[in-house]
Amino acid sequence: MTALLEVRDLRVTIGSTAAVRGTSITVNKGETHCLVGESGCGKSISALSVMGLLPRGSKRETTTLRFAGEEIGSFGEKQMERLRGDRMAMIFQEPMTSLNPAYTVGSQMTEVLRRHRGTPRAQAVDRAAELLARVGITAPGLRLGQYPHQLSGGLRQRVMIAMALMCDPELLIADEPTTALDVTVQAQILRLLATLQKELGLGILLITHDLGVVARIADRVSVMYAGEVVESAPTAALFAAPEHPYTRGLLTCVPVPGKVRRDEPLGSIPGVVPRVSPGFTGCGFRDRCSQAHAACSGTIPRQTVSDGHELLCTLAPGWVAREAA
Amino acid sequence: MSDAAAIEVRGLRREFRVRQGMFAPPKHVIAVDDVSFAVPAGSVLGVVGESGCGKSTLARLILGLLEPTAGDVLVDGQRLSGMDRRARARLIQPVFQDPFASLNPKRRIRDIVSMPLIAQGSFGRAEIERRVDEALDRVGLSRDQGTRFPAQLSGGQRQRVAIARALVLRPRIVVCDEPTSALDVSVQAQILNLLAELRRDLGLTYLFISHNLAVVEHIASEVAVMYLGRIVERTESEALFATPRHPYTRALLASVLTPEPGLGVPDVGLGDIMPDPANIPPGCRFHPRCPVALPRCSTEAPPLVDDAVGLVECHLVDVEAAPAHA
Ligand SMILES: Nc1ncnc2c1ncn2[C@@H]1O[C@H](COP(=O)(O)OP(=O)(O)O)[C@@H](O)[C@H]1O
Ligand SMILES: Nc1ncnc2c1ncn2[C@@H]1O[C@H](COP(=O)(O)OP(=O)(O)O)[C@@H](O)[C@H]1O
Ligand code: SF4
Ligand SMILES: [Mg+2]
Ligand SMILES: [Mg+2]
Repeated sequence: MTALLEVRDLRVTIGSTAAVRGTSITVNKGETHCLVGESGCGKSISALSVMGLLPRGSKRETTTLRFAGEEIGSFGEKQMERLRGDRMAMIFQEPMTSLNPAYTVGSQMTEVLRRHRGTPRAQAVDRAAELLARVGITAPGLRLGQYPHQLSGGLRQRVMIAMALMCDPELLIADEPTTALDVTVQAQILRLLATLQKELGLGILLITHDLGVVARIADRVSVMYAGEVVESAPTAALFAAPEHPYTRGLLTCVPVPGKVRRDEPLGSIPGVVPRVSPGFTGCGFRDRCSQAHAACSGTIPRQTVSDGHELLCTLAPGWVAREAA
Repeated sequence: MSDAAAIEVRGLRREFRVRQGMFAPPKHVIAVDDVSFAVPAGSVLGVVGESGCGKSTLARLILGLLEPTAGDVLVDGQRLSGMDRRARARLIQPVFQDPFASLNPKRRIRDIVSMPLIAQGSFGRAEIERRVDEALDRVGLSRDQGTRFPAQLSGGQRQRVAIARALVLRPRIVVCDEPTSALDVSVQAQILNLLAELRRDLGLTYLFISHNLAVVEHIASEVAVMYLGRIVERTESEALFATPRHPYTRALLASVLTPEPGLGVPDVGLGDIMPDPANIPPGCRFHPRCPVALPRCSTEAPPLVDDAVGLVECHLVDVEAAPAHA
């Protein structure tokens, strides 16, 4: 498989916060890679780093930031602007981040194509209508003439997806795209993303805090904690044999119908995600970890559990199975 | 059942007039439409449904924060309308979704928790201090945390403060409106475990609202499914999850994404028409989205089927149930 996006050892500092600390992520063509973790773990900042959209005052360092074979880490704002919305597109939890309330859906969608490709208006309108239909919007002609506030939350999210697809991007980054939606609409939007990916061969980097979403849509999962990827694996492998105490903890917190009896407590992780400063050493999870021991304050090794399954922890891979035996 | 019910609502209805703009006439939104049920003392009624279906309106009616357009709310056997505010506060208390919005940022945690006691006007200083300590202790907050301001606490700790404030008058009933929806899963689990423990230890009754069916399944003994202001199915929790009968309940259940890889994202089959409480469809209000609608569903309101399993409003269930009744 060809790597569409390759990020090696990404570090982002915002003021006195080490928001991302040595994260590596690869997204292959036609693959969905999910970044999962609680809020504040560095998921959004990682994604924004790739898009060149970091908040003011952020400092980014990385050894590799390669997109479609080209090193883009050194790109200036002009060059990034040319990539964004064209070959790589991003959608957000709140559609109004991308949609301008003052313009109709049609004029915003066609503007993307005109800016990047200089496409004539009539042709751009056709493309917009075609994509609205493609994302399951009935009466696309009517929607093109409407303003964002005239649409429901689910429709707006579809419009945002359609707009992201105007220039046929190779990479789509979706940051919690369904978190604000009803479960019924969430299922529809995720199905849509899965279908589009298959048909268009998109690479998708999807950020979510919901392990249910991950299980159903990801090919590969990276679990983030305090700015680091603490475990990364093909989806089936991660859910079959999670190794990192954080991954394991997260999984026991999720209520699953029929799994935990009503009178029994859910599993939970005590405490909260820490805000880590640049000089921090040791495992970021150690204060909340039931397995923590002296070595967890030292350098934490990155270990291989099995092919493609990596673990950032002092525990030796296979510890869960050994403990159970 | 009436005498054992902690909460009972009868024919409850609430309309809102919503302005459509400068010139258009205002529209009537029926947020809660002829809802009746009883919640036995010590049990948990879960309420689920999509946003806008009327869950929060129902909660506010039961809390006495809104006047019903029609119908009655009885709490602990007493009519809510006309009940003294202070008496009401001793019986029933809320916990809302966003603890930050519901806590005064300028007050210390202890002061926030003591407010309901002070509002009663009948507690002495020592008693107030004792009760506040007890409530903080119950929800797992330290004395030290009691001296801080809301902004100095995490989201989960703030929700504990809201729960302590709800408990300080030792009410019998707590109405929880999406109490964990703004929290991370790990914190959600902590809060759900706490609420379950409190219910057991204090013998509380909950009305527990959530859009997350998995959360409701975990905590509720009975579940009411709301759609456009009406309860379309109400069944004991285990039966509802084992054999959902209303097509809407089935769709809601199908859309729960459990962390099981390999299953993919289900096709819920609801289409892309969204429900609008200002334009409630004739017949069965769910028919425009119903994947199994019968011809009569678009014209005739479905009857209420009330049998050994539970209550359902659906023509299909009525047809299936008919031979058994004959
Ligand atoms: N604009 C910002 N200014 C300062 N700190 C920020 C900003 N955005 C994010 N952070 C910090 O960076 C860390 C990672 O945040 P983020 O990537 O948004 O987490 P996630 O998306 O996983 O919830 C957090 O500690 C957060 O407080
Ligand atoms: N104060 C109000 N004024 C006008 N309309 C309202 C008011 N409160 C709720 N509504 C309307 O009533 C319906 C139900 O809302 P709500 O009870 O908040 O639903 P839910 O909590 O299930 O999301 C919605 O259409 C909402 O817009
Ligand atoms: S490194 Fe130590 S503290 Fe961190 S997760 Fe592993 S065992 Fe727990
Ligand atoms: Mg984020
Ligand atoms: Mg609500």
